[in-house]
Amino acid sequence: MKSAEDIKRYFQKSTLSTNRDKHEAIFEKIQRAQDKSRTTSPASNRLNLRSNIMKSPITKLAVAAVIIALVVLGLFEFIGTESTSGVVWADVARKVEASRGVIYRNRATHSGGPADSDYSIVYLSDTKSRDDSYKGEEIIRTSFCDFDTQTFTWIAHDAGKYMQKAMSEETLREQHGAWANPKRWITEFLSRNHRKLGRKTIDGVLCEGLETTDPTFGVSNFQVDSVLAQIWVSVETGYPVMLEAEITGGGDEKIHIKGVLDQFQWDVELDPYFLKPNIPPDYVDMRTL
Amino acid sequence: MEDKLLIWKFKRGGREALRRIYDKYHGQLLKLAIVLTGNLDAAEDIVQEVFTHFAQSANRFGMSGSLKSYLITSTLNGVRNQRRNNRRRQGQNLENAEHIPSMARRPDQWAVLSERLERLSCAMACLPYEQREVITLRMEAKMTFRQIAGVQETSVSTVNARYRYGIEKLRSLLNSEVKK
Repeated sequence: MKSAEDIKRYFQKSTLSTNRDKHEAIFEKIQRAQDKSRTTSPASNRLNLRSNIMKSPITKLAVAAVIIALVVLGLFEFIGTESTSGVVWADVARKVEASRGVIYRNRATHSGGPADSDYSIVYLSDTKSRDDSYKGEEIIRTSFCDFDTQTFTWIAHDAGKYMQKAMSEETLREQHGAWANPKRWITEFLSRNHRKLGRKTIDGVLCEGLETTDPTFGVSNFQVDSVLAQIWVSVETGYPVMLEAEITGGGDEKIHIKGVLDQFQWDVELDPYFLKPNIPPDYVDMRTL
Repeated sequence: MEDKLLIWKFKRGGREALRRIYDKYHGQLLKLAIVLTGNLDAAEDIVQEVFTHFAQSANRFGMSGSLKSYLITSTLNGVRNQRRNNRRRQGQNLENAEHIPSMARRPDQWAVLSERLERLSCAMACLPYEQREVITLRMEAKMTFRQIAGVQETSVSTVNARYRYGIEKLRSLLNSEVKK
C-alpha cells in the first residue's frame, strides 16, 4: 500500500559520488567555454527588442504596422530591376540574404502606452527565432518560433507562465514576414519609392542610407497616414547597421509607432540549442488556467 | 536567495559563482540523467553539455525563474534530444534500446554510482519513457503532477496514471529491495 513512499525512500538512498579528477577536468572545460563565450560573443548581451510586440495588441499592431511595411518581394525580384541601380545596394542585398543568422536589438514605442519591456533582443535563423524581452537587465519574456513545425512558444518569466501553440497564419506572417526578416529589408526599400540619404556615422561606423515615405511600406492592419523609414548600411561591411521606422495613422485611434532596430550581428551561426524553448518546470501552462 | 546571488555574480563573469553552481547541482543533474537515460556515458555527456551551455549563456541569462528549475529543464531537454538522436541513428525502437542500460564502470567516469542507484537505474530502464520521466521529476525534482503535466504537455490525470503504473512496475521490479 505504501509503494510510492517506499520507492521515494529508495530514490533518496540511491546516491552517487564523483571522481574528483574527472570532476575537475570537466569543470575546466566548462570554464573554458565561459571564457570563450566572453571573448567571442559580446553582442548577445547587448541586444534586445522585439518580443514586446507579442505582448499587447497595440504592440502587436505596431509591429504589424512597421514590420509589415517591410514585407515581401524576393531579393531576386529587385536585383536586375532598374530601381536597384546601385551596385553597392545589390551587393548588400546578396550579403544579407546569404547571412546564416542574425542577432539584433529592437526598440519600439507606440501611442498605446508604455511597453512592458524596454527592448528585446532577437535571434533569427532561417528556421527558428528567439526573442528575449528585457526590463532593465532582466529577461521578462521570451518567445520562440519554429517555422518548420509552425510552433510558437511564449514564456513569461515575470509571471511564471508559458504558452505553446501552433502558429496562426497571422503570427507566422508577423514572425516570418519581411519585417521580421532583416534579410529582406533592403529588398523592401528598393522595391518602393525611395531616395538615397548619403553618408553619416552611426556609433562610429560610416554608413550609407536609404529612405522611403511610401505608405505601402509594411503591411499594416490600420489606415496609414504617413511613413518615414530609413535604413543605414555600413560602407565597410555592407551589412545593415540600423533601421528606423515611424508610422502614424489609425484614423480616430491616432496610432503612432516608432521602431528602431540596431546592434546587429550578421552571419552568425546560432546554436540550435539556444533557439529551442526551455521552459522551467515550475512554470504554469496558461492553457490550464 | 543564494541562487539569485550566484546568478548575479555569474552574469558578471564570476568564475567562483560558476564553480559554486557546478558543485551544487552536478550531483542532482547526473542522477536525474542517469535514471532517465539508463546510460552512464550518455548521462555524463548530457550534464556536461548542460553546464557548458549554461556557462556560455551568462549574457543571455535573465533568471527571473529558478536556477534549479532551469538546470533540470535543460537536463530533461538534453535527455529528450539524446533519445531523438538515438532513434535517428539506430533506426530502431528506442524503447527496446533502452531496456539495455549501460552502467559499465570505467576508471575515468565522472559519476560513481552506489549499487542501489545502479539497480534503480536498471529497473527504471524497463519502464516506458513517459512513466520514467514522471517518476523521476516527482521523486528527484519534487515537481507537482500539474507541473509535470505542463512539461509533458498532457493532462494531470494522464500524469497521475503514468505515475501509478510506473510505481507499481518499479516496485515489482525491485520487490524486496524497496523496504530496505
